[in-house]
Amino acid sequence: MKKRLLVLEDGTVFRGYGFGSGKETIGEVVFNTGMTGYQESITDQSYNGQLLTFTYPLIGNAGINRDDYESIVPTTKAVIVKEYARRPSNWRSQMNLDEFLKEKDIPGLMGVDTRRLTRVIREQGAMKAVLTDDTREINEIIQQLSQTKLPRNQVEQVSTTSPYVSPQTGRKVVVIDYGLKHSILHELNKRECHVTVLPHDTNAETVLNLNPDGVMLTNGPGDPKDLPYAHEMIKQLQKHVPIFGICLGHQLIALANGAETFKMNFGHRGFNHPVREIVTGKIDFTSQNHGYAVSKESINKENLMVTHLEINDGTVEGLRHRLYPVFSVQYHPDAAPGPHDGAGLFDQFTELMDAWKVEKKDA
Amino acid sequence: MQKLSKVEVVNGVAMERALIRITYEIIEKNKGIENLVLTGIKTRGVYLAHRIADRIKRLEGETIEVLELDVSYYRDDNEGRNAEKQTVSADNKTIKGRKVVIVDDVLFTGRTIRAALDAVIDLGRPDKIYLAVLIDRGNRELPIRADFVGKNIPTSREEAIQVSLKEIDETDQVNILKNI
Repeated sequence: MKKRLLVLEDGTVFRGYGFGSGKETIGEVVFNTGMTGYQESITDQSYNGQLLTFTYPLIGNAGINRDDYESIVPTTKAVIVKEYARRPSNWRSQMNLDEFLKEKDIPGLMGVDTRRLTRVIREQGAMKAVLTDDTREINEIIQQLSQTKLPRNQVEQVSTTSPYVSPQTGRKVVVIDYGLKHSILHELNKRECHVTVLPHDTNAETVLNLNPDGVMLTNGPGDPKDLPYAHEMIKQLQKHVPIFGICLGHQLIALANGAETFKMNFGHRGFNHPVREIVTGKIDFTSQNHGYAVSKESINKENLMVTHLEINDGTVEGLRHRLYPVFSVQYHPDAAPGPHDGAGLFDQFTELMDAWKVEKKDA
Repeated sequence: MQKLSKVEVVNGVAMERALIRITYEIIEKNKGIENLVLTGIKTRGVYLAHRIADRIKRLEGETIEVLELDVSYYRDDNEGRNAEKQTVSADNKTIKGRKVVIVDDVLFTGRTIRAALDAVIDLGRPDKIYLAVLIDRGNRELPIRADFVGKNIPTSREEAIQVSLKEIDETDQVNILKNI
């Protein structure tokens, strides 16, 4: 097995062994605290451009199966583990993690103390990092890192370029793809929603011409401020149709309504984030994956209402518009992977669409 | 003996979601909670009104008043003939110039709501009256409609809707009952 290096922007070096693809890669290094669900996480487009570290020490025990893909072409930059399971044991398994990463051309790094790496990220914040062969000079790598500018067109990289349909009889839902997870389509289809998926740069007119019962804004990678066209689209759209935003969609709704977003120090990535739903006082355990968040202070109470809060650090996890049928959550109710506590939000969306339809007919 | 079929159409979780949505919609439509009074129609409407008030308090941090309304006196059928005029802990001041949300469990013929409108207006002249119901089952006999509906359940006259609430019926549930 080839010796490889992970070099962080601040000069920290981790030595380990390469698996998966053998290419060199550069990106932002982040950590995920989930104990399972590695297949869903690796194929989640929200990890676009990121080197994904798993804090859990053994990854890949259940192999890779045909059911748990969240995208066809994952764009995660690298997978960093303490140890990967060479011989997975699960009836659904079709290959091990190494074979999967080779097939998808994603480099992996094993033999790294991922908990120490996590501690470094927690202290220093999310950083740029290089995964490369150990034959290279460290100083040269650090210099290369400081000169590298990470791409900011991440949504463009992962969004669909042409519209497609995920058919089902029932309500007509338009999904704007900022890097959607397949499980969002599963959840909508399961609830009798006929889904039309449109590219990230679709304008409001195109959406309204389809006469949807509701619009869903998906999760996605990167900084929500890099998508000013999406803010415009939401501003026009929200007056006419119910909208449900998840993750990046939630941040876009906030920006479209005058609130601000900021880059978090090391983000929320994992499945054990407790969130309080303010209206009931109930606490849900949620699956999360976000490096940006909505600033609580910036929310204009005239048009937005905070509906969910993270218990640990008070991050805004849910919003609702005061005048229009628009709501959003920062976490992933599709729960792939993660706890299913938030699944009711999809029912909330379908019920909102139904109620809105009746109201429109009455008016 | 006649047999009764019983079909659950709303479970506890769905009822909770419906109430949450109604709460948000009240805040949306009223553009806040200023001058708002909730008026529950006895029996189950009162519990629902309290639940909504509870949720509004959690969201907005302010307590809003909940009145309990007994509409028997105002009914247009026999039931009301001997009823005493309602005793509500509200006077002209509570109602006058304010926005009243009438809350009930089921909207059917509209006759109960007609009586409730009379009862409220007897207390004073509100700025506005809204109607929030958990279930709208159709079959109206009067020109009345709800502003906030938890769930539309179209039914026939032969069927009955049974709303159960935790406060008095142990579970949160809505059933359709039908003779078979």
